[in-house]
Amino acid sequence: MEKVYDAIIFGGGIIGSCIFDDLTLSGYSAVLLEIGGDVASGTSKANSGIVHAGFDATPGTLKAKFNVEGSLMYPEMCNRVGVRLGNCGAYVIGNDLKKVEELYSRGLTNGVKDLEILNREQLLKRIPNITENITCGLFAKSSKIVSPYVLTISLAEEGILNGGVVELNYNTIKVEHKNGVYEVTNGKTKYFGKYLINSTGNAYNDMAKLIGSETYDIKYKRGEYYILDKSEFSVAYSTIFPLPSAHSKGILVTPTVDGNTLVGPTSYESDSSVKTTDLGLKEIKEKSSAMLNNVNLKKAIRIFSGVRAVVGDDFVIEKSKLKPNVINLAGICSPGLSSAPAISKYVISELMQLTYDLKKNAKHKLVPYTLSKTLPKQELNDLIAKDSDYGKVVCKCEDVTVGDIKMALNRPLKINSVDGIKRRVRAGMGRCQGGFCLDKVISIIAESNNETLEDVCKEGVGTNFIVGNIKE
Amino acid sequence: MQYDVVIIGGGPSGMAAAIESSKLNAKTLIIERNETLGGILNQCIHNGFGLHYFKEELTGPEYAFKFRELILNEKNIDVKLNTFVTNIDKENNVVTIKSSNGVENVKYKSLVLSMGCRERTAGNILLTGTRPVGIYTAGTAQKLVNIYGKMIGKNVVILGSGDIGLIMARRLTLEGAKVQAVMEINKTSSGLRRNISQCLDDFNIPLMYSTTIFEVVGEKRVEGIYYGQVDENYNKLEDTRKFMSCDAIILSVGLVPETDLVSDLKINRVTNGTYVNDYMQTEYDNIFACGNFLHVHDLVDNVTMESLQAGKCAALNALGKLERNKEFNVLHSDIVTYTIPSTIVKGEGKVDLKFRVRKKFVKSNLIVSCNDKIIAKKFVMAGLPGEMLTISFDKSEITGDINLEVKSNEN
Repeated sequence: MEKVYDAIIFGGGIIGSCIFDDLTLSGYSAVLLEIGGDVASGTSKANSGIVHAGFDATPGTLKAKFNVEGSLMYPEMCNRVGVRLGNCGAYVIGNDLKKVEELYSRGLTNGVKDLEILNREQLLKRIPNITENITCGLFAKSSKIVSPYVLTISLAEEGILNGGVVELNYNTIKVEHKNGVYEVTNGKTKYFGKYLINSTGNAYNDMAKLIGSETYDIKYKRGEYYILDKSEFSVAYSTIFPLPSAHSKGILVTPTVDGNTLVGPTSYESDSSVKTTDLGLKEIKEKSSAMLNNVNLKKAIRIFSGVRAVVGDDFVIEKSKLKPNVINLAGICSPGLSSAPAISKYVISELMQLTYDLKKNAKHKLVPYTLSKTLPKQELNDLIAKDSDYGKVVCKCEDVTVGDIKMALNRPLKINSVDGIKRRVRAGMGRCQGGFCLDKVISIIAESNNETLEDVCKEGVGTNFIVGNIKE
Repeated sequence: MQYDVVIIGGGPSGMAAAIESSKLNAKTLIIERNETLGGILNQCIHNGFGLHYFKEELTGPEYAFKFRELILNEKNIDVKLNTFVTNIDKENNVVTIKSSNGVENVKYKSLVLSMGCRERTAGNILLTGTRPVGIYTAGTAQKLVNIYGKMIGKNVVILGSGDIGLIMARRLTLEGAKVQAVMEINKTSSGLRRNISQCLDDFNIPLMYSTTIFEVVGEKRVEGIYYGQVDENYNKLEDTRKFMSCDAIILSVGLVPETDLVSDLKINRVTNGTYVNDYMQTEYDNIFACGNFLHVHDLVDNVTMESLQAGKCAALNALGKLERNKEFNVLHSDIVTYTIPSTIVKGEGKVDLKFRVRKKFVKSNLIVSCNDKIIAKKFVMAGLPGEMLTISFDKSEITGDINLEVKSNEN
């Protein structure tokens, strides 16, 4: 008899991974199926990485409810899986005091604590590089930053460690419902489950069609970003937003937990391609410089874009009416990251009517992604004495060693991609963008996984770096 | 650990500096991050190296090999391979190094910065479009092809006509790939004339000026590019937009000196390296700099010559024999983008002034003057932005700031 899981989760973004982990910790059996070569390989890897305070969402919406609840759950969740949470706070700045006051009262309505309205003089003391146009602002002390991919990976790994199953590169081609059990296949491996959870983000409708559940009018919104060199960190020690518009929270400037600065995102309707555009970059340049002086975009080390799926004005979080025991999670755009733990709790306890108790099956504690460079000198020397790989630096920009990369390859979630390594231990994430370490990282992955150089991918099937040998 | 001279980076410049330092009996240490000395030379398997210094034509690895032999014969040089410098403490003259032996401190009397440069990336040039596999900097592609013997694409477009890009156009063609075009956003190439002729013309690879990639296409692997022409201000001319299919893009779009470890030193905004006087001495009396760390060179022989001076002066300083006198500025006319050195220490001896120009010139005199007195004059047939120019003079004649001009001879 095949094993029947309590839940099959499609899509290993932050939402899917969080539900997967929470179900597992609560003592239920769960399998997470991800089409990409890694979890957090879609929207969850390409966003601002901000745990919003929750003052922006329209009161009464799911966005407002889950954002505020979710952000309050972050410290405990991050602490549990050893993921850094940066308490940098956020400012919304502009020249329309009325709008600032509206935001303030909206924040109070949503239940956000520690909000503060500031005038120009007060702002200048904290953000000396605001432009001349800025006259007032709102400070939200509880706004935080996190690495969205390290968090997603860590949650998925905690789930695996406690009995859950994650399959990467799993392209579901068929879903059938027989005798109260769902049967799912990619043509090779079958999984059976009582519940199906569709958290496939941009691919939601494709998955819904396979399941036979509701589809929605999904629009895509592209968000383009600049990542700046660490040398630019002083441009913003807190997240700096402009006053929001109806469409988005606007183009922000924020520190990342890793010491870079993010500038973006644009927010316009697009197709689902994660590309950057000249127009988008221009918009970011204009808008960021209207808000802050010294935003030096010439110090960009990378530009990227992420695409979010949007359904109307709010998240779709509901039980399917067409199919039994199917949970539809669509249009989880911003503030999806902030809302993830609260959405997960709601899905498990309310929609699935299961017992949400993260302590019940928390048997194994996840070892955090601690990079050797962060250890105190004596501890690092002890580590190198034990394993000399930790003395062999591979990525010069981020001081990542062979030991760190091997550690990342020997985690609960097995990967073979260079981008996977990059997100886990930051090799190739620095200012030379892998110029120095790409060949070394490829070699270490191949050796460690007992593969050839040709097998190693950037990310997922069909992204091999090497296409063959040179002429004999 | 304590040394008279600590040299960071064991490429051609670090090796040359070490040899000269050792010859003056200074206890010298080279710290090299790779498993062997030689730096980028090890992957430059084409020839054309050493014509000036060794008076014979060598490949990069051969040039490096010859220098390694010289280093082995020097008694005063220690070498630490597979070793990274993680910090420089200028207050206490200590560098922190990391290797399989752990984290250690090394004290220096003089420090030589010869860390070379890194390549500009897709992010630096804001290459728009998607981010699939198949986009490589020329140096990375060179490493994978020449060191690993692996191909990174079969149908290649090269962006930027820097020397490594030109060399890679030929290399990939010889290894069986089709190199469709080299695209250069400027009106002239920053590569050497001989490379354009030997690497592109000989293989019928078109070099398209004022042309750049508008957008990368492809979700998993590069499937092609939209490209077209740019105006004088580098704005993309949308009506020239065309598609070209390819499976790899090689970027040869410039090099940046690796100044990360000394980011608080004054940086020249043209070279992105530090400023030095003719002792190759930075603003700190005991910190010297040379090679591509200082400015990007066209020929390795020039790196070697410059670095011998750095090694010599670093050793003299460590032994207490170098005096930093009053310095005079090197001023220059607008066509000159920068000079190395940028100041000259009052005293005696010969100075080799190296510089680049921002645009092409023909049949001109290079003139160095001081207080309206011409102290050096040299006729050159032509100069290009891609080629470094040199003029030498005796510095005993210098009594104030000097001025470098390029004067056309054609009226």
